[in-house]
Amino acid sequence: MSSSRTLGLLLLMPALILVVLFFLVPVILTGVFSFTNMSTSTGITGGAYQVTPNSLQRLSDDYGLSSVAETLGQSRYVVDEQSLARLQQGEADEDVIAELRKDHLGQTFETRRAAERMIKELRHRPSSTRAIKAISGMMSRSIAHVRFDTKQALAAGLSEAGIELTPEETTAVAQATYTGWVWTMANFRRLFSSPDTQRVLINTAIYVSITLVLFNTTFAMVLAIATFYMPEAPAGIFRSIWLLPRISPPVIYVLMWKWLAWDTGFLSLFLENFGVPSRNWMLESTLNAWVFVILINGFVGASMGMIIFSSAIKAIPKQLFYASEVDGASRWQQIRHVILPQLRWPILFITSYQTLSLMTSFDLILLSTDGGPGATTEVWALATYHTALSNYAGNFQYGLGAAMALILVVMGVFLSLIYLRFFNYSTLVSKPLIEH
Amino acid sequence: MVRLEYMLHVVTVAAVLTTSTLDAVAEDIAISVFAGGSGPDDHFRVDAITIAADFLTREAAILGEELNIALDLKTTSSWDDFKQAVILSAESGEAPNIVITGHEDIANWAQSGLIVPVEDYVDLDAWPISDIYENLIDIASYGGVVYGLPQDAEARPFFFWRDHMTAIGYSDREIDALPVEIEAGEYTLSNVLEDARKMQDAGVVEAGYGFYPRVSNGPDYWQFYQSFGGLMADPNSGKLLLDRAAMSGFYQFFADAVAAGVTRKNHIGTPWDQWYSEVASGKAGMWHGGTWHYARYTAKEGLADFFGNIQFTLIPGGGERGRANTLTHPLVYLLTKQEDERAMEIAAQLIEIASEPRINVLHAVKSAHLGIAKSEATIPLYANNRWAREATDRLLAHATAMPNNSNFGTYWDVMWKGLESVWTGQKSVEQAIADVEAELSSVLGDAIIIR
Repeated sequence: MSSSRTLGLLLLMPALILVVLFFLVPVILTGVFSFTNMSTSTGITGGAYQVTPNSLQRLSDDYGLSSVAETLGQSRYVVDEQSLARLQQGEADEDVIAELRKDHLGQTFETRRAAERMIKELRHRPSSTRAIKAISGMMSRSIAHVRFDTKQALAAGLSEAGIELTPEETTAVAQATYTGWVWTMANFRRLFSSPDTQRVLINTAIYVSITLVLFNTTFAMVLAIATFYMPEAPAGIFRSIWLLPRISPPVIYVLMWKWLAWDTGFLSLFLENFGVPSRNWMLESTLNAWVFVILINGFVGASMGMIIFSSAIKAIPKQLFYASEVDGASRWQQIRHVILPQLRWPILFITSYQTLSLMTSFDLILLSTDGGPGATTEVWALATYHTALSNYAGNFQYGLGAAMALILVVMGVFLSLIYLRFFNYSTLVSKPLIEH
Repeated sequence: MVRLEYMLHVVTVAAVLTTSTLDAVAEDIAISVFAGGSGPDDHFRVDAITIAADFLTREAAILGEELNIALDLKTTSSWDDFKQAVILSAESGEAPNIVITGHEDIANWAQSGLIVPVEDYVDLDAWPISDIYENLIDIASYGGVVYGLPQDAEARPFFFWRDHMTAIGYSDREIDALPVEIEAGEYTLSNVLEDARKMQDAGVVEAGYGFYPRVSNGPDYWQFYQSFGGLMADPNSGKLLLDRAAMSGFYQFFADAVAAGVTRKNHIGTPWDQWYSEVASGKAGMWHGGTWHYARYTAKEGLADFFGNIQFTLIPGGGERGRANTLTHPLVYLLTKQEDERAMEIAAQLIEIASEPRINVLHAVKSAHLGIAKSEATIPLYANNRWAREATDRLLAHATAMPNNSNFGTYWDVMWKGLESVWTGQKSVEQAIADVEAELSSVLGDAIIIR
């Protein structure tokens, strides 16, 4: 018994590893990211310590250290023994070092450009830009824009640049110049206080409920029942046609809808014959956009339900149909009293699976309306994508996006629990009485 | 510390190079280049690097070095795809050596360590960089450090379809005088709405086509904020700035345009191809775009006589504090942080050579952008180009640029969401402004001045 259990576990192991890697880890990471201010500018793997205009601003505003900020922001290039020693250490040309010591010792330049102008006027001018840059770099006594990997390196850099700070000031400088992410609840505060949250949630509710009710369940059921009562060959063809939206690549599938809906598309050209001016039917109005978003997603979603329901109907013992026909049941009565009661389990599955699937899917909306016109078809998953992976100024908001994704996970779990209760899951999985 | 060690290393190498005999040792360097927002007319953004590589190889040969540069050039017309590709590849340590992007990325990418200052690698005093307009170098800088080299310049004009203006009573002379009148603040955004309405009433354009703005988010919309006297950043402190009155004026203008029926309520999201073909064929009365639109209208859209059909001006001012303006959004060559210092150095030399006037003019004229360097005006290909000449004269002196500030992306998102909500009628202007203010002060706190 125990060896077969071990074998079972072993056999399951690859699947378990994959589940952990591709399902569990992303959810955990999403949870972790959502409590950070992680963005492109902070990086994912951690930051460094760098004096930037932003950090100087923070030093003045948040720590009241405007004089320190002013000092840190200044750049200074000095020819002194320290610089010359560094050059010596770097095996720079002896003649250059000698000339600098003789003619320029004690000089200070405010910009690197000015320092380099002096270097270029040396009799022993280095022969490459690279060498000039290296010498001016050695003369630097500023830490502006220098990236220090650790706090200790920052402190060393400060003292090397001759900037003397108290321990408290050094700590403040380290905090203000840190470029990496920090823990925060700000993402959730922002989401709960933003008026857009409500709008996007309402959009999501509209999208999920209408697509689910009209297409993924009802229309799928209609297709399944219709094909059940058809002869086998045409039923197969009919089902295959309804599978096309699902098996087409999404980009091509949506492009076909666009060809249909564009102002120069099929719909416009066809309706022009009846005097209707051509227009972009997909984005003509908010209602149009919703109709298209729901149709585009619904046609894909319906095929899934159709397959599940069709096979479930086929699994219903034929005797039940014969018996109902002997009793004189009409088609409608068969559907109402034989088919539907037997499909409770697949309906639960399709409803909960498709709810979750619709809530998290945004690819077809992204490709068709991209949330437009004017963000009126922006649903939660799409807004999450836009936040986390799209920004005009190159600053993706990973933390905020993760917080939005986490809320989606919570909503999904909550809805699943409601469905399980609504469909009375425990009865569905209880052992059949007959086997007791 | 890392920087000091690197400097020591470089000094050593440089010293060895200058003192040792120059044995010809073949050096193979692979450089990848990626340009965003680049359509078919913009291929010289990356082709300039190919030309530069040819030069650099020859220069190396003169010094007795055999330098083999293997280039991997990529462009995409999309900004979203480009930024995703660059950022995510950089996160995994695979960033392209040279990226060609909008200058507004500099602040964030410098802070994340994704890019390195160009000034660490090139001599700013040496030609051709010394020839580049100072203001463009400033736009490519962050906190006084030059992070990128300007790749092009442009301005974003307001366009009028001449025949439609004639149809509502403007004489040719009056249309010709529009640039001056707009600059002087005599023709404002209120006139735009009036004339757009007149065009629709006269039946020369369809409803919603009187004023036909850009169809997606973009830097252009900041111009309308500036039209009402708004500033994106405080010139003294460098902090971001929300000017409530200017933002209200800007939102109100678009709300009024929709209410007057001269702009469609669902206009945002119209496909670009459709929009270009419509504005280049006289379907719209007034619209706005960029200098590069000239290339698109006259080439792909087949507009034979641009100047005979279209008048271009600054974006008109609006309200009492208003001023006519335009925005320049230069693309920049940026160097990404790489493990291989030598590759970064070669990449820097390539973008330096690619910035030479003669090479840059190829891009400027082909794509109808404006030149980056003073001497480009003396190169016949550029000097003889009417569009380059007139657009530079009329627009460039009034051009402002977006600030390089790592919080600007957040400000921009909030501004755009507010505009969308007003445009599509989801919020009143007052409500939208209140929400914008609330969101900005909660997210950015002290980093933005609200007044």
